Amino acid sequence: MSGKHKQTKTPPAPVGGMTGASVLTSQEEEVRAMLARGSTKPALELAKKIHKQLGTQASEALLLDAYVARIRSLLEHGLTVEAKALLELVRERYPSVKDKVADLGVKVAVRQGNWDEVVGALNAPAIAEEKRAAIERVLKCQVTDLSALAECAALAPQHPLRVGAAALRKAIEAVTSGPVTDDALRLPEVSHRGPLGPWKTLVRAIAHFYRQDDVACERCLQNIDPDSAPARLVPALQAMLARKPGEHRLSTASASLVGQVGGSTEGLRNALRSLDAAFATDASKIIPEVQRTISACRAACPELVERLQQHIAIRAVNSEVCPSRLQASMGGLAIQNAYFWRLFARSVEGAAGSLAVETCSLWEQFRQHALAEGWFREDGPEAAALYLHMAELLLEIPSEELIEIRAEFMKGFSGYGHSYEGQPPAVCAVPAKHRTPDFYYLFPEGLFERSCAIDPHREAFERWLDWERQQSDWKTADRVAESWHRALPNDSQPLLYLMESAEERGALNKALGFLEQAEKLDALKPEVRRAALRLLIAQAVRYLRQRKPRRAEEKLVDLEALPQAHETDRPAFLAALRWTGCVILGEDKAASGYFTQVSQLLESPAAAVLICRSAGNACGLEPNEMDRCLPRKVLLDQTDSLAGAVARACALGDDMNVAFTIPREFQREIFKELSDDHCSLEARQLRALAEAALRHSLGELAYAASAAGLARGGATEARFLLLRARALPSWEFERRSDCLAVAAELARRQRDMALVDEAVDLRRGHGGLGIDFLDPLATMDEHAFSRTTEQVNAVLKREKQSRTFPVQEPEPFYDRFGEEDEADEKDEEDELPTFGDIARLLLESVKAKVKKKRGQKHQDETSGQRSLF
Amino acid sequence: MNRHRQGVIAAHEDPREILGVAPNAGDEEIRAAYLRKVKENPPDRAPAAFERIRDAYEILRDPRRRALHLLLSADPEAPLVSLLPARTRERRFTGPGPWLAVMREK
Repeated sequence: MSGKHKQTKTPPAPVGGMTGASVLTSQEEEVRAMLARGSTKPALELAKKIHKQLGTQASEALLLDAYVARIRSLLEHGLTVEAKALLELVRERYPSVKDKVADLGVKVAVRQGNWDEVVGALNAPAIAEEKRAAIERVLKCQVTDLSALAECAALAPQHPLRVGAAALRKAIEAVTSGPVTDDALRLPEVSHRGPLGPWKTLVRAIAHFYRQDDVACERCLQNIDPDSAPARLVPALQAMLARKPGEHRLSTASASLVGQVGGSTEGLRNALRSLDAAFATDASKIIPEVQRTISACRAACPELVERLQQHIAIRAVNSEVCPSRLQASMGGLAIQNAYFWRLFARSVEGAAGSLAVETCSLWEQFRQHALAEGWFREDGPEAAALYLHMAELLLEIPSEELIEIRAEFMKGFSGYGHSYEGQPPAVCAVPAKHRTPDFYYLFPEGLFERSCAIDPHREAFERWLDWERQQSDWKTADRVAESWHRALPNDSQPLLYLMESAEERGALNKALGFLEQAEKLDALKPEVRRAALRLLIAQAVRYLRQRKPRRAEEKLVDLEALPQAHETDRPAFLAALRWTGCVILGEDKAASGYFTQVSQLLESPAAAVLICRSAGNACGLEPNEMDRCLPRKVLLDQTDSLAGAVARACALGDDMNVAFTIPREFQREIFKELSDDHCSLEARQLRALAEAALRHSLGELAYAASAAGLARGGATEARFLLLRARALPSWEFERRSDCLAVAAELARRQRDMALVDEAVDLRRGHGGLGIDFLDPLATMDEHAFSRTTEQVNAVLKREKQSRTFPVQEPEPFYDRFGEEDEADEKDEEDELPTFGDIARLLLESVKAKVKKKRGQKHQDETSGQRSLF
Repeated sequence: MNRHRQGVIAAHEDPREILGVAPNAGDEEIRAAYLRKVKENPPDRAPAAFERIRDAYEILRDPRRRALHLLLSADPEAPLVSLLPARTRERRFTGPGPWLAVMREK
């Protein structure tokens, strides 16, 4: 007996001198109260004393109740032997109570695995329905050993209970040992409504669980009777279905089940975290942590070992880990399959942009393995995307540098063949197929061509064409546009490019031919509409330059037929061209009429002078011819804003694709107006003025226009910051860098991707600023433009306050950059490895780049002390 | 190029595994698998699973996006522990022993 029972106090003896009835009434209540509290032992002791003293039927009934409660209590505490002994004693002393303790007898028998005693009664042909139900209830709640029931001798071998239990035993065995078919789950021998019904549902729940069909599994679990024996597995299954098993409090056996089936990965998780920490902070711990992690992985998740080894091997490239020690600690080599090469390529790609050539060679390795492993087809979209990706990597290197790097690489690179030593035969077979090196992946044009041949789409052609336009003569670029047109005949973009190309060469008729084709595809496209206007104007201007005003007039009539020629200030430009024609013909009076028309349309004689002079310049008029037909004193009568008039004219010039010049005599007055705090020009006009000023290197004027624009605030701040960057003198490269970064950030927030691209191009030195050699950040990608709101506000505040054009050049500090560049060059020279061992090459290259990046980061931080960032 | 949306699928996860299709599965197979999975995980009953399935399908339905995901989903810098979640969902067959031990425990 347990200590708990030993501590039980003996109940008080019945009070002497009282009558039997009164004693029973008072002490019966006490016994019942004890039973209700679960104190079955003292209750039984007291009931025994009462019955000994009184010996009545009522006291016997009380005693029997106490016995039954006590036997139940012993069973609940797992004391089956004691319960059985007490039950036999009761049956022996009080035969009349046999029916009352029948269910206890069944329970004791079940606990002892003695099913014969339990189910034996089912053989009786006239068994009472109540008794059958009671037995079945016991079976439902107590059967945990199907084998015992299946082999129960008390039942005939063909009895449905034995047959059902045997079928269930077989099904449980199958469903927990491997995938099963639906036929194995049908179990026609077992009725859903029978005592073994919950087992059938459990078998199905387990099958769904292993099939990863969690919804069906959950549904089955909900259908299991919570009082049945199979319901004991529900918490464990629910814990395994849930994403966070820790939420369920499980019994020891359930927790063990969850660990064995779901895999206890906590130890592995901890090991992985420690290894991550070692890679990040303490290289000396890497080897022991790798060892520990691989062991944990082999134990908890053996199928993950190969992938983990690959990740560790790639990580180790960036850490100073001895390869042989690493291999020993991993217990083998990382398998160099497609997954490995993709990871390697991504790793090098992420570490350093200037390793594009090496990265492309790694991507090529990936491609070869991926094809061999069936990841994709050679002509599939994945291959096309890969070619395009490699081309874009190469485009990050300036062309001249690429040619040099490529030549060096091709000279020294002999393939990755020797890095396959110790690899499985299937992996080694891949490089064996590609013994002759093919360096196609180092030529952007070839990569673009391959990509567009497999998967012709607009973005790919656009990138290819952009690149060819920068690299080659117009013929090559035109060929790309032609192949684009052939591949995507419904896209008007290549036709527009071919039109512009022809237009630039002066082949206006050819250009018009392309325009007609583009109009057939999409006449409403703004670019097409603009091009129609521009080409007719170009033709009219050419005739005027050829001194053929009558032919020019024909084109002007065609122009007037276009609806877009009547938009904004465009009619003023047509009138200015007609003015030019009259000047050529010597029809001064008619010219005067057209000048008046231009003045009225632009509401400014000053703007009319500018327009007519610019149109005359474009058409090759001599200055004296123009002076003859232009008013001399127009400025003296000018009372309106001169800056406004010039800005309007400049905006029209931009619209008409004719670069207007700001006359020298106007500049001082315009500058004065722009510097005024009450400048009333619109943002559009300020922008046109700034653009015109930048075209003619009038930095101070452009700066003043940007200051006036910034002072307005609002959505155009990004645009004016960009203009500010362009207007700044070259030695102000840090301010320029800040302005471009913040302009890009603001544009990004406004979803103005054209402005973002413009800022990025300028930042990379494609905008003609030509000071890249001073700029350590010039090759960074657009993510380098990310700025916080605080940084944006700080730059905006500084630039708004700086209204004066900077003229004082600071002390030069280029020496530091010079020293650093020299040091970098030396590093590269020292660390430039031979191509004999490509693994070492990549390792060293990455290290060098990481060092360089760290140095650069330090430099950023140092320069941040001077600038805002 | 790498601006594509990732949704609720982690970078290292294979959308094919989520839909339960083979690496070389064609468009029709992918669509059939998607419809089957959505039927099993309707948005009202399993919203999280549904989102994952939908995002996986969004990646796989567009061949170009599928290709980009294939190339760029590998992240060598991701914490090593992130390799685990997809793996732990695998369920091991243990035989009936541990299962029946739970029933006999009481």
